[in-house]
Amino acid sequence: MSVEVRIDPTLCRGYAICALLFSEGVELDAWGYGRVIDATPAGRRAAKRAIRAAKACPNGAIRVISGGDGEGWGP
Amino acid sequence: MTSPPLLQTLTPTFRYSTIGEVGGPHARLLSGPPRGAGAESLDGHLTRWGVNPLLVRPAEMRTALRSSGLQGRGGGRFPLSMKLETAMLAPGVPVVVVNASESEPASAKDDTLCRLRPHLVLDGAAAVAAMVGAGEATIHLHRSARGAREAIEAAVAERRSLIAGDPWWRVSVGPDRYVSGEASAIASFIDGGEARPRFSQAPMAVRGPSGRPTVVSNAETVAHLALLCRWDVAFWRAGGSLSSPGSQLVTVAGAVAEPGRVFEVVGEVGIGEVLMASGILSPPAAVLVGGYAGTWVQGAVAWSTSFEPAALEQIGAQAGCGLLGVLPHGSCGLAETARVVAYLAGETAGQCGPCVSGLPTLAATMEALARGELRRRELRRLRSLCDRLIGSGACRHPDGVVRLVRSAIEVFEDDVVRHLSGAPCRGASHAPILPIPDLDAASAGWR
Repeated sequence: MSVEVRIDPTLCRGYAICALLFSEGVELDAWGYGRVIDATPAGRRAAKRAIRAAKACPNGAIRVISGGDGEGWGP
Repeated sequence: MTSPPLLQTLTPTFRYSTIGEVGGPHARLLSGPPRGAGAESLDGHLTRWGVNPLLVRPAEMRTALRSSGLQGRGGGRFPLSMKLETAMLAPGVPVVVVNASESEPASAKDDTLCRLRPHLVLDGAAAVAAMVGAGEATIHLHRSARGAREAIEAAVAERRSLIAGDPWWRVSVGPDRYVSGEASAIASFIDGGEARPRFSQAPMAVRGPSGRPTVVSNAETVAHLALLCRWDVAFWRAGGSLSSPGSQLVTVAGAVAEPGRVFEVVGEVGIGEVLMASGILSPPAAVLVGGYAGTWVQGAVAWSTSFEPAALEQIGAQAGCGLLGVLPHGSCGLAETARVVAYLAGETAGQCGPCVSGLPTLAATMEALARGELRRRELRRLRSLCDRLIGSGACRHPDGVVRLVRSAIEVFEDDVVRHLSGAPCRGASHAPILPIPDLDAASAGWR
């Protein structure tokens, strides 16, 4: 399962939950907003964590798209 | 004007460089009646240009566009043919929008073009619509651009049912905000949403806010397409340089006799020559190149540089929206920059963290620097703030502000040292040079 992770900066409000749940792929910028550092995490475990982070974001700012078919989690 | 001189095509190594003005002998986009004559009528336009012969042959238009290398003139310099080809391959009928909402406060090129040569803009928009197979085209303007809107609406009324192959015209008027001129903000507005930049996974040419492929192209860009369909491609290309084919419109602003005057740069012309045409006879202190989201360049350096992308890149600048802002000797570039940064920081869409949290700090720091109230170690913080802002957010707004600030600190290095010692230079109390628009109440929202 290959996925692509994006954060919509217009929706991010700095809840920082993503940085906890998906720490290998997201870091917080100088103001506490999420920034993707690994947009295409390798491995099933990482993909699962990315999806968990997307589902947990209170503002739905994270999008995880599974490779190829364009099916996504999050809005 | 219908048959271009063949000399240009036979001897491609021969180039001529000149500065055109509205109605002047060397003008291309701006050829025709003088400025005082106002908008050129459909009759006048058809007499000079005839109907677009390729409008009914989209395939030939696409070939001409591809070989022309026409780049977006809104600042992005993205090849128009690539944008259109992407939109054609994407599923759905494309949305075609001409971006005539000139957000750069000192720039007047798109406004001038719409006011004086509305039919060139419409011809170009019709060509884009025909190429991508759209039955409708929208011309989008800022609410305050009343003259341009009147000219475009009158031109649309003149053309109704007269020009075979024209799309259905729509004229859209949106808020005057700086970021509202950004392509995704316009696409969002036309789709019924707010005129704020959008974040998207796919390029708009693949999938815009409406779900359909969306082509947003600058007014000058599509006007060039109108010339391109009627001219030999090599002749059209010779109006520019190798890195940017075709002539280009330039607005000269700041400390000049007539700020906001628009020139057409044909071939490789030095910035000094353009400034001389606007009455500046020796290098000024500095020139703001490319817009408020552009770069300051030392006057002497700018003077001898050609106004074309490759040469500008050598001096760390970009053509942007084609603005040349003149800063005279004795003025304070840091004070000017602080005013512009404060304006840009107030013009964010208020959506992304970097603009909401970072730009106000950047503006306050620049203001302190301009007043001579910044300490040395805070300057270091200003630099690292710039580093953190670059590439963040959904649109390129923070990048533009950072570009301006970084160039100011570099170009006005001596002033920075003076200001850090506790006293602003004498120039800081001078009257402002660059215009900062007053936002009218009607544009306070995003619709």
